[in-house]
Amino acid sequence: MGFFDNILLGFQVVIDPTNLLFCFIGVVVGTLVGVLPGIGPVGAMALLLPATFKATPTSSIIMLAGIYYGAMYGGSTTSILVNIPGEAASVVTCLDGYQMARQGRPGPALGIASIGSFIAGTLSIVGLMLIAHPLAKAALRFGPPEYFALMCTGLIILTYLAQGSMLKALMMALVGLIIGNVGLDMITGLPRFTFSIDELTDGVGIIPLVMGLFGISEVLINIEQKMKREIFQTRIGHLWPSLRDWAMAKWAILRGTLIGFFLGILPGGGAILSSFVSYAVEKKVSKHPERFGKGAIEGVAAPESANNAAAGGALIPLLSLGIPPNVVMAMLYSALIIHGIQPGPLLLKNNPDLFWGLVASMYLGNGLLLLLNLPLIGIWVQVLKVPYRILFPLILLFCLIGAYSVNNSTFDLFLMILFGGVGYLMRKFDYEGAPLILAFVLGPMLEQSLRQSLLISKGSFMIFITRPISAIALGFSIFLLLSNIFPHIKKRRQEYRELKE
Amino acid sequence: MMKVYDQGSSLFWLLFSISVLIESLRLGIGTLQNPETGFMSFGASGLLGILSLILFFRTSFKKEEAKIKSPFHGTLWKRVFLVLIALLIYTKLMPVGGYLISTFLLMTFLFFIIERQKVWWILSFSLLTTLVTYYVFSKWLNCQFPSGLIGL
Repeated sequence: MGFFDNILLGFQVVIDPTNLLFCFIGVVVGTLVGVLPGIGPVGAMALLLPATFKATPTSSIIMLAGIYYGAMYGGSTTSILVNIPGEAASVVTCLDGYQMARQGRPGPALGIASIGSFIAGTLSIVGLMLIAHPLAKAALRFGPPEYFALMCTGLIILTYLAQGSMLKALMMALVGLIIGNVGLDMITGLPRFTFSIDELTDGVGIIPLVMGLFGISEVLINIEQKMKREIFQTRIGHLWPSLRDWAMAKWAILRGTLIGFFLGILPGGGAILSSFVSYAVEKKVSKHPERFGKGAIEGVAAPESANNAAAGGALIPLLSLGIPPNVVMAMLYSALIIHGIQPGPLLLKNNPDLFWGLVASMYLGNGLLLLLNLPLIGIWVQVLKVPYRILFPLILLFCLIGAYSVNNSTFDLFLMILFGGVGYLMRKFDYEGAPLILAFVLGPMLEQSLRQSLLISKGSFMIFITRPISAIALGFSIFLLLSNIFPHIKKRRQEYRELKE
Repeated sequence: MMKVYDQGSSLFWLLFSISVLIESLRLGIGTLQNPETGFMSFGASGLLGILSLILFFRTSFKKEEAKIKSPFHGTLWKRVFLVLIALLIYTKLMPVGGYLISTFLLMTFLFFIIERQKVWWILSFSLLTTLVTYYVFSKWLNCQFPSGLIGL
């Protein structure tokens, strides 16, 4: 089938009323979780995953992807109006978005965030269509050593880009690998780390783990302090940015789109990183960097465009290589596996309706989001006024119901609460949850490809060096690790020299 | 202060890695030519142990630059602890008491502990959320909630 036939197929899939409904639900829920603090897109996807079990894989993926890019749109609303990011990728939007609101320009800030998101989202889908297919073809030649090396690189990049200590992030990735080992060994069929608990034979479920680490722990962190929100009391007024605003923001949107798209493809990258990088780039290229942090419209346009473009870019490694590059994609990966679809190079060949249906749904979803976020902004502002005393108990209850409904098991509830407590302590002691989740999802694949590689090479690790793709990927990973270690050694030596003197 | 917490957490992960390492050896790690069940967890726990030790020594020899307060200082951590206990009790209570009764009790507690409200408000909101979620998830989405010993 040709390129345009595929796009036509995608639109045929998405105009099915059920898929349309799922797309709509996805973007509405996504905007809602983006607006509300307490639960992010990962938690919301885990929460709604059980509800998709009776739907077709295409409908389910359309909805779950809608939650992701919908949250990117919604997150900007709270950043601009309340100075509290609805989700992590909108943190940097607070800097200039809230200042614009304080200067009586919340409308253009919200407007440029939504329009920039729309442009970036749409362009990233074009990029996805153009890159995913040739990459999937090339990936058909990849063997276990290449997959092992690429997955290792993804994990190392994620830990390298960790907000806190890389050492702690690496430790969390290893903990994730160990948790991913619980259950039956996929080759020998022997139980591992099950401690004679029947429920652990199938391994630790992704839903209790993600809901615990991202849902419950987030609520616990919020309820440990007395929080007060102040919604900026001003008329939102006209949302359409002025010509001057457009002139200032147009290149920021384009640069944000490019940065977001390519950082989204990068394993370990994603929406959070791309929003920060695009903000930094805008500040660097600006003739008046002193305006940033005081209500510069480019400071809103660039990160909001970048985080939406990253959503499209991140789908490329997932759909064409079968490797989730970040934690949100890890959730989508799990959803595809649960629905019996194997993400990877053969996905485009075996399930073209799913791939092109998803692509078409993203076009449609971006249009829907523009409608939801511009004319209906007043509704989202009202949603922001839901008091925390109602919001947090409800989020906890939804997490409990979501975790229970997967297997009708109270053991899953127990696991979720346990991971919730662990996640709370991890946040307290600066351990990040994202590397743990990504390693947990990649763990079984990583183990399989390592064991297969060693079986092929009769126990020689040289197989990872003699094959060019795996050698480059592993070489890059080692370079990243060393680049983090050397400055520490240099600093220690300097300290020692100073002490000696 | 953070130094002590980092030392404590690194020792925790060290103990965790040692226990995983022992269990991996019991499972059997095989050889490089034929890796067995415990191979991956052995490698992962070994690396975790090494990194935990690095973290421990790095924080031990590090000068505390300023007096950093405990991460629990000035927080309502007792509230967090109580919520976790309530959630654990809920998992035990639900199969016995059924969804309706146990959820009503949990929501009453959560609404009470997160922000003190008038009793009638707490009770009516708890009842409302319990009934609405029961109707939506059990009747509409066909979730199989336990009915408990008294059939509710």
